[in-house]
Amino acid sequence: MNILEAQHDLSAFRQAIRDWLAKVVPPDWKARMARASNEEYIAFQRWWMAERSKVGLAIPHWPKEYGGGGLSQRHLIAIADEMARADAPQNRMFTISLIHMPGTLLPHGTEAQKRRYLAGVANGEVWCQGFSEPNSGSDLASLRTRAVRDGDHYVINGQKIWSSNSMYADHCLLLTRTDPNAQKHRGITYFIMDMRSSGVEVRPIRQANGRAEFGELFLTNVRIPAENMIGAENNGWRVAQATLASERGVISFEGGERQRYEIEAFYRKSLQAGADWLRDVQLHREFVSFLAEMQAARRLLRRVLEESETPQASASVLPSIVKLSSTVLRQRICSFMVRIAGVDGQAFALLAEEPFGSPMFDFLSAFSGTIAGGTNEIQRNIVAERGLGMPRV
Amino acid sequence: MTSAIETASTLDQATLDALRESVASVLSEQCGSTALHAFIDGKNTLDKTIWGQAGQLGWLGFGIPEQFGGLGMGAQGLAILHGELGRRAAPGPYIATLSAAQAIVETGGDAICQRWLPRLAAGEINGAVPATLDMHSLTRSSAGVSGTLRCLGAADAAFLLAPAADDWMIVDLAGAEVTVAPMWDRTRDVIDVRLKDAMPAGILPDAAATRAALTRAMALAVAADSAGGARSVTELTIAYMKTREQFGQPIAGFQALKHRAADLATKQAVADEMVRHAVQRTVADEPDADIWASLAKSEVTDACVFITTDCVQLHGGVGFTWDFDPHVFLKRARLNEVLIMANTALRDQAAAALATITMSGRSALELEL
Repeated sequence: MNILEAQHDLSAFRQAIRDWLAKVVPPDWKARMARASNEEYIAFQRWWMAERSKVGLAIPHWPKEYGGGGLSQRHLIAIADEMARADAPQNRMFTISLIHMPGTLLPHGTEAQKRRYLAGVANGEVWCQGFSEPNSGSDLASLRTRAVRDGDHYVINGQKIWSSNSMYADHCLLLTRTDPNAQKHRGITYFIMDMRSSGVEVRPIRQANGRAEFGELFLTNVRIPAENMIGAENNGWRVAQATLASERGVISFEGGERQRYEIEAFYRKSLQAGADWLRDVQLHREFVSFLAEMQAARRLLRRVLEESETPQASASVLPSIVKLSSTVLRQRICSFMVRIAGVDGQAFALLAEEPFGSPMFDFLSAFSGTIAGGTNEIQRNIVAERGLGMPRV
Repeated sequence: MTSAIETASTLDQATLDALRESVASVLSEQCGSTALHAFIDGKNTLDKTIWGQAGQLGWLGFGIPEQFGGLGMGAQGLAILHGELGRRAAPGPYIATLSAAQAIVETGGDAICQRWLPRLAAGEINGAVPATLDMHSLTRSSAGVSGTLRCLGAADAAFLLAPAADDWMIVDLAGAEVTVAPMWDRTRDVIDVRLKDAMPAGILPDAAATRAALTRAMALAVAADSAGGARSVTELTIAYMKTREQFGQPIAGFQALKHRAADLATKQAVADEMVRHAVQRTVADEPDADIWASLAKSEVTDACVFITTDCVQLHGGVGFTWDFDPHVFLKRARLNEVLIMANTALRDQAAAALATITMSGRSALELEL
């Protein structure tokens, strides 16, 4: 069965996704993943990618000429909405593969790169991102990982950090410094790095929420063929903007929709069980304020999607405004869940079967929203400087 | 929700933008800062000037169906008008009059609509409504309606729409004792209406429906007004920060202040969407429309109080002066905050309704894609 065959009738398309999800999503997947080892997590992620692939939903958003479904944004929204509604697994291990890599290669890659690497994702190749460094976080353009030309190769030395799923990755989107004497934005070059190259060492980083999704990359005399350069030498900063911009869009929209179903399920369950917190009128007031803010956030996420298809998108600060509002709201909702759960909410658990079933895990995980993808402090700078025209000093 | 404006269909974005532009251009000409401050100091009658224009330009009929002399633009048209009036902190009895008109449109029945709406649409009369809807100070006997009620509306209000005993009624204010209660917000009037055996000019057929319709109309109006006010005070504050220099540079360059400004812009974006959401649910006549209108009022007026307060602070010393604009918006925001009923009470109402919908297995969280 290929669900894409139903694409000409949006409601039939939705129904096909819904039917498929009802059949394929294991009802106990959350419980299983809550207890899963790394190996089980990887196996599950690969299984889910393969299932999506079977029905044409692995890379439905890519152009047809590169093996994708060539679907419109309306269809992608429908897919995201159905996935959220069904509480289907997310292909977190493939986020960079599905979003950032095509977002970079489609506008800036060579034809050979596109043919080679886009096709690989449908076969399960995992990508990671080598952008941040221990001393280059918010000030990303100060990065110091060196790339030095040596014949038809570049030799890489340096260190990268916060690289999600790098432990399992086949390829890396790598930013390096090729001209240390140029102004900092002008001496950066972008490469595709084979993670199996000699000299690549990955160490997982354990996070405050107990999981280890990030890795730290230690790069020692790693040789990358010059043909793996994306864009021109010293033009990597501009290419990197495409990578960063690809984060805006359907992926955030799906997050907002998932939260809606989670919070609604939590509320319904609380009401049916006559939960204690509902007897505290102030808590109930706080909760309905969250609902109002959540509806506003979901509407803003829709506006980002609408805007993303217009020429104004690249200059817009709306994605930053949306990140600020949605991630802080998420943090406040999770904080509320911790407060109302009392001592039970402090019980150690990684991920839970029920929405907000492990409040401290959710609360701690919410920092990935406020810190990753440009900290909220950087987003405030962007809103103030680019959006409100306040001067950079 | 039974509605006489079932024909009010959704207006497209281009129509709405053109409407906003036309209202904004008139108000920017008529209701600039200098004229507004002169009005506040009793040196002009800006409220009357703008009201006259509004009547001529059809603004007062935005929410009134065409068969009663209006333009039939429904909640979308009204939200634009209130948003622009809020932006300029325009003086006049718009929230009271236009919300009373909406309640009449939706629940008045044909005779009451025929009698009141054409004059309201033309701007010939303005109206008053209770400043807060949880007051029940009017009594009713065979002799008529008596009591004192604090109302939103101008001193020359022609009628009052209010509850007495179990009914909602229209009371003609010709001959009633009306006293203006001076408020810190000088851009709107609050009046004390004293009635002694006043005979109702009309009794609305369904009291609960009228109360709900008025609550919703006022909530949408107050929320839109607040969002408009917050936007304009934020804009003028950021403009001020770009020109005010200290330590040898514009204070807009200081990161601590930039981050505050970014947070204000973010709060504003959320507030604007809350208003749009509530308007959209109302236009679509969804069963959860009242919930989102109430929450738009409570959340947006809270946000507007926060924003206007911070804008006074960000102006420094001049923010504390009578001659600068921020305090005008702050005072308007504080009056908006307490209208209809306390925000905590509105949240309680919304919570009860949300709980009912959620328990029944339905959803109040649907959004169009």
